[in-house]
Amino acid sequence: MEKRILLKNIDCPDLHRLAKYEELGGYAAARAALASEPASLIQAIKRSGLRGRGGAGFSTGTKWEFIPKNSGKPVYLICNADESEPGTFKDRLLMERDPHLCLEGMIISAWAIGAHWACVYIRGEYAYSYERLKLAIDECYQKGYLGKNIFGSDFNFDIILHRGAGAYICGEETALIESLEGKKGQPRLKPPFFPAAIGLYKAPTIVNNVETLCAVTRIFQMGADAYAALGTEKSKGTKLFSVSGHVNKPGVYEVEMGYPLLDLINVECGGVWKDRALKGVIPGGSSMPILTAEELKGVVLDYESIQAAGSYLGSGGFIVFDETANMLDVACNIAHFYAHESCGQCTPCREGAHWIEKIFNRIASGGGIRSDLSLIESIAKQVEGHTICVFGEAFVWPAKAFVKKFPDDFANLLSDQDRLIQIERRKEIGERQINKGVELS
Amino acid sequence: MSLVEKKEAPDKPPKVEQLVNIMIDGRAVSVPAGINLIEAAKLAGIEIPHYCYHPALSIAGNCRMCQVEVKGARKMEIACNTIVKEGMEVATHHSSRAVADSQAAVLEMILINHPLDCTVCDQAGHCKLQDYHYQYNAKDSRFLEEKERKVKAQPLGPTVMLDGERCIMCSRCVRFCDEVTGTAELGIANRGDRSVIVVHPDRELNNPFSGTVVDLCPVGALTHRQWRFNTRIWFTKQVDSICPGCSTGCNVKLASRDSQIVQVKARWNADVNKEWLCDYGRYGYGKFVPKERFLKPVEKINGAKQEITYDQAFQKIISAGEFDAIFLSGDLLTEEYHLVSKWLETLRYQPKIYLNYLERSLSDLEKILISPDYSPNYQGALFCDLIKLEGLKDQWFEGLRALSAGKLQRVLMFGDNVLHGLPAEFESVLSATLSDNQTVSKVSKIVFCGSDAASLAAIGAWIILPTEALLEKSGFYINRQKRMQFLDSVFAMPSGVLAQWQIIARLAIGVELTKAKNYRELSRHFLAERGFEGVTIAQIKNGGINLGGEL
Repeated sequence: MEKRILLKNIDCPDLHRLAKYEELGGYAAARAALASEPASLIQAIKRSGLRGRGGAGFSTGTKWEFIPKNSGKPVYLICNADESEPGTFKDRLLMERDPHLCLEGMIISAWAIGAHWACVYIRGEYAYSYERLKLAIDECYQKGYLGKNIFGSDFNFDIILHRGAGAYICGEETALIESLEGKKGQPRLKPPFFPAAIGLYKAPTIVNNVETLCAVTRIFQMGADAYAALGTEKSKGTKLFSVSGHVNKPGVYEVEMGYPLLDLINVECGGVWKDRALKGVIPGGSSMPILTAEELKGVVLDYESIQAAGSYLGSGGFIVFDETANMLDVACNIAHFYAHESCGQCTPCREGAHWIEKIFNRIASGGGIRSDLSLIESIAKQVEGHTICVFGEAFVWPAKAFVKKFPDDFANLLSDQDRLIQIERRKEIGERQINKGVELS
Repeated sequence: MSLVEKKEAPDKPPKVEQLVNIMIDGRAVSVPAGINLIEAAKLAGIEIPHYCYHPALSIAGNCRMCQVEVKGARKMEIACNTIVKEGMEVATHHSSRAVADSQAAVLEMILINHPLDCTVCDQAGHCKLQDYHYQYNAKDSRFLEEKERKVKAQPLGPTVMLDGERCIMCSRCVRFCDEVTGTAELGIANRGDRSVIVVHPDRELNNPFSGTVVDLCPVGALTHRQWRFNTRIWFTKQVDSICPGCSTGCNVKLASRDSQIVQVKARWNADVNKEWLCDYGRYGYGKFVPKERFLKPVEKINGAKQEITYDQAFQKIISAGEFDAIFLSGDLLTEEYHLVSKWLETLRYQPKIYLNYLERSLSDLEKILISPDYSPNYQGALFCDLIKLEGLKDQWFEGLRALSAGKLQRVLMFGDNVLHGLPAEFESVLSATLSDNQTVSKVSKIVFCGSDAASLAAIGAWIILPTEALLEKSGFYINRQKRMQFLDSVFAMPSGVLAQWQIIARLAIGVELTKAKNYRELSRHFLAERGFEGVTIAQIKNGGINLGGEL
């Protein structure tokens, strides 16, 4: 059954207007938070067990504690609204329908970590979300909820809204920071692992997802302990799932952590469409390994259970495939996306992402050979853990999973050509390139 | 000379008090705290392969060649971005199969979109991609697809050409222009394997150090427009030397073939030029080659040139009497200045000594490396007490004034560049005076010792003595930081010609200035006579020795 915490008021008309939001009890939590000690807020967030909803699932309270004391530099808060993981659209709903929930969460978080300046880095394609957030921020400035001495306190806090330019990688927090600084959006080297110590303009920076910040507001509205009472032992609270694909009722659903995964598909989403059988589900956005119908049995929706099944909860972007879906087509599609979006900074990702795409495309066009599957496996092994950011994992995990879990979708297209034929094929390609060169010159 | 400091290995990092103990491939080593694993391994005698890392640039960490296993780390670390810590245990490709595999994989990936056009590539033979492929991969590629196509032969500016397909995106050139010159002409456009080095749309790569990006490029993506398709590097003779363009004394590697310089590369010296070199030095080696070589002594009588022998020439010079002044080029060897000073001690009279020293105005950017003078070894003349440090320029101008006013009757001039870079106020006067064959004998009896008959000094000379050209000498230069370095000869001296130092020795009558028979002996005698006990030429060749100066 749905458990609406973040989406409590989502169906109210005009919720995006400040008046309506306040009528429903909005900004009371922020006023109350500004009256309490920042340290106590961080403790409350830790007590609530909130984990980052952007995909990594790292404890939000712990992250906030990484802010160095008295660094002599300003502290920045960034709301990561660059929701670009294919299959994920929960933040869009929150920003379009309930933008003040996120802004209130930002005010509380900023007070807790000592930030006076925050930025919402919003995905460039989210034009409607941008309009709604802009309106919400303008309304807050007009009423004195943002700017100087907010809510009549002596706390100054500004939020600016920044639109991304359409790069997937700018959702990675260090790439986001680079982009915000006006540079090419490329992830930074790790260590430092967290921008909490060295972030935007080398100052302490906290980057939180939209859903996380919305949850912060709710935690202070309902109390940390009440929030912690929801969910499982390690994965507390509720989580938004964006379900798309072959289900009868796709959409955003909020359920308690620990809710059975198949119930989400069969009950909330009305089951697989056209009465077909389930083939597989990508549970955390397209960068996570797919789970087969078999593997999904008994899995519940929390970080640990899905990990035990061989995938990750990620951003909660569920892509459901029915029995007619050809996994080679899916693999080609996803591989193309990642090849297109690789920032090109480090070698394994820059070259590997395209290599894998080209192999999938070759198999799909009938030129596959049996050793291709082990080749993909081998490329994946040399990309995983060898790149600057987790983009490497993002494209090899799904690729590996498709090849391993759905061999039947590939087998018919692979010929038993031996090495000699490979060499023949290489010659053929070489000649084609030479001919092309002649044409060009 | 108690000031002489023992030279450290050239690429050793600056002395740090604290040492940390680490294990590399099971070997315990103590290394200075604060250095990264590539440098630490180097101290332990282990080479960790790398493309994007450069000791004088920021860490980019993008090539992934330098991965190592660090005990306790979740995954492999890149050595360039890992600072040594006490007790760290590191496994390189020597002791870890996984590291070797990852390096092979990185090489395979770099090569999948590489055109493999080594047969026509200027970098072949000194290419890190070739070297590492043979050392760390040397397997057939498993890539069956079509390669990406990128820009070929794209000029980035007047000096550098880009081949986009050969580029491995190490970003060294971009970082050099961002961090060292601060001109930021270059960038990387596009994403993924469509990434390509681009020059800013409204600009070109034309800063005073633009050629350095070619040295930094570990592959054949950037080449010198001037030297493309010139020669295969393995047909060249390569010499480690010093650039004689100014007194910075940048360390260079000169490649020559068929008596021509075919490529100039900067050589790493942490204390002098890192691995940078200015374009004036790099592309300006032509000016050190004599335009009009002459091999026999010449006497000019009423404007008519007459070939004579060395013996006749020395006889005429000596019978002409005492010299009023000696003009020295700023690019003579310290050994030669030393001989001149020894010779002066034996003379009963004291001729005036003038050293070519001029200063040009430099932009702030040029000042990061270039010295304002054209006299690479003026410090050598100072070292031999031939001139005074105060008013170097004024001393030179005094000499020029005296010469153009005809006050000096008998003058000895050493070096092709002795009258190099004359200021406009003197140039017209002197060239008129000196080239006027009618008046020359009246004004002065100039004896010129050099290799270029086209130089101004030769035109006005009474007797010209042929000698070696600048690129044929070898010996010590002392740069403006008072670092003594070794200038090595690129070409052999023509036979039958006396070297400059031999001429000085012959001019000294009745005394034996040196017992040396060749340049090496001359250098060795110099070291012994000037108190450099225990210092060898090899030591000085390897980065130079500090004579107590500051940068």
